[in-house]
Amino acid sequence: MSDIAIQVEGVGKRFRLRSSGGRTLKSMVMDMIHAPGSERDLWALKDINFTVERGSTLGLIGANGAGKSTLLSVLAGTMMPTEGAIKTTGVISSLLELGAGFHPDLTGRENVFLAGAIMGLTRAQMNRRLDAILEFADIGKFIDQPVKHYSSGMYVRLGFAVAVEVDPDILLVDEVLAVGDASFQRKCLRRMSEFREQKKTMLIISHDLGTIQSVSDQILFLDHGRVLGHGDPGKVVGQYETFWRNQASSERSREWGTREVILTGAEFSDEAGHASTKFSWGQPLTVRLGYEVKTPVGRSVFGFGISDEAGRLVHGSNTEIAAVTIPGLSGSGHVVLKIPSLNLARGTYFFSFSVHSADHKVNYHRMDNAFAIGVESDKNFEGICFMPSEWRVG
Amino acid sequence: MIGLVKDIVARRDLLAMLVARNVKIRYKESVLGFLWTLLGPVFLIAIYAVFMKIIMKFPMPMTVLVSGIFVWQYLAMCLGDSSFAIIGNANLVKKACFPRILLPFSIVLANFVNFVLSLLVMLVYLLFVGPQFREIAWLPLAMLAHLALCTGVSLALSALNVFFRDVQHLTGIFTMAWFFLTPVVYDVSMISSITSKYPILGQLYFLNPMAGILSLYRTALLGSPLPSLNSLAISVGVTVVVFVAGILIFQKLQPGFADEL
Repeated sequence: MSDIAIQVEGVGKRFRLRSSGGRTLKSMVMDMIHAPGSERDLWALKDINFTVERGSTLGLIGANGAGKSTLLSVLAGTMMPTEGAIKTTGVISSLLELGAGFHPDLTGRENVFLAGAIMGLTRAQMNRRLDAILEFADIGKFIDQPVKHYSSGMYVRLGFAVAVEVDPDILLVDEVLAVGDASFQRKCLRRMSEFREQKKTMLIISHDLGTIQSVSDQILFLDHGRVLGHGDPGKVVGQYETFWRNQASSERSREWGTREVILTGAEFSDEAGHASTKFSWGQPLTVRLGYEVKTPVGRSVFGFGISDEAGRLVHGSNTEIAAVTIPGLSGSGHVVLKIPSLNLARGTYFFSFSVHSADHKVNYHRMDNAFAIGVESDKNFEGICFMPSEWRVG
Repeated sequence: MIGLVKDIVARRDLLAMLVARNVKIRYKESVLGFLWTLLGPVFLIAIYAVFMKIIMKFPMPMTVLVSGIFVWQYLAMCLGDSSFAIIGNANLVKKACFPRILLPFSIVLANFVNFVLSLLVMLVYLLFVGPQFREIAWLPLAMLAHLALCTGVSLALSALNVFFRDVQHLTGIFTMAWFFLTPVVYDVSMISSITSKYPILGQLYFLNPMAGILSLYRTALLGSPLPSLNSLAISVGVTVVVFVAGILIFQKLQPGFADEL
């Protein structure tokens, strides 16, 4: 018996984009005018290859629209891949969304049986599972009420209870961890670890990086339908965070200047001198800021600023304030900025750099929010930036 | 086709539940519930009785009108519901994997359940006005053909409406035209003045499968004369074609449902 539960080879999924709403005769005519294969095609997935071993858990991460849900749909068989092949071994849970088959006017109990039937279980098989489902969902007397009267939490609890108690060999879960309260999430995680112990295979989507990193054996990082990373959870999550930071800074960054001098790049490194964009609380940070002089200039000033995700300037300074004299510049070179201790709260921060004339009249080159770093911290304080302070009684 | 039958048999529990769901939710939260299945036709009958029999002095027995409307009602319900069989269950189609054909088929069957119940009520009425059940043996064939026709049409409409929402709008007009092409508020014998002059028109008339099916119902329930076997064969033949075409259209289009919704 093969120990591969899911094998995906060269899978691609193309969608036809349409201006709005469903197809009408008008849009069909418009489609005929537009040549097929035009820019109106969208590959939601392209060249996807991976295998999942039986009993292991694969986490899917990526921004909204990266293709995670499409991938699950293709695996579950609700959508046909445009190209490629998928092989799965064992019964695959075919309910992708918790409570997807629930009808608002039917009672919880009726919906449980309907959902079971959708997933291919007989009434007798569902009857045997009913107690476990009721216990897990923990919604008491509401089970005989129409589900439209349920709170969203009850709805999801019942949905999850059905999905797991149906006991598939392969469980596909889309964003289950985003819903429900903390105690329900703990319950889900516990049920999922039981699942793992039973050598069941799971594919889960979550935006909660911490959780997905801890429950997955492997992580697949998707962006715009392509696999950007696959493998060890810690590594891929780190890769995703870096990618996301770069993405975020490229969206925010702005540069301008007269360009007599241009800033050619900034290399961030940690205590040990290794290049990194991820730092821990209190660690030193070093930036090597490269420049190239196009037209020789006189005395100049280099400056930097750190902003948080909300765009607030956390800290800024320059060589003039620091009383470092930069004589006339020519050729190319670099300046080094050192922050001995990074006193920032956990989060993402954006660095801005500038070089301008000593009299502040000519701005040679300025790059705002061009570089992003992540800060990990368990230092306990309120606010963005830590200020050493002490208390005294009396 | 055999695979499809196997699929449906394998998922009969789901089919049964979907049918039960559709029967239940149709009249959920309405005070009169199932009575609406009767009240709809009763109001229609009253309207046509007033206009055609009283105002326009159309010589038509009440039993013809009653049987016509009750039988027509089943097809009309299917025509009205089937456009939404898939798009009304978009979430289910996108998020769960099961034979999609069960969605429209369960609607056809749920309406059939309602129809059979209303048929029982109609039988009670016919018992009161003087039963003519000599030819009742035709009833199973009429019902089977009726069911097959409704299935074929519903499958095609439910699938086509996913891709062309025009279908749901066209269906209304189409239903109206079909209503008058079918001897619902008149009897086949009433157009005999035309069909005896142009026999070919008489045959063409039965290309509308509902003409043959409704005539069969009237033979079975009212003892009306049986239409010519030729005409019947045409209607039944078209019914079979519609049934098969409906299944083929549905199966051809269903892989693309999730993408469209």
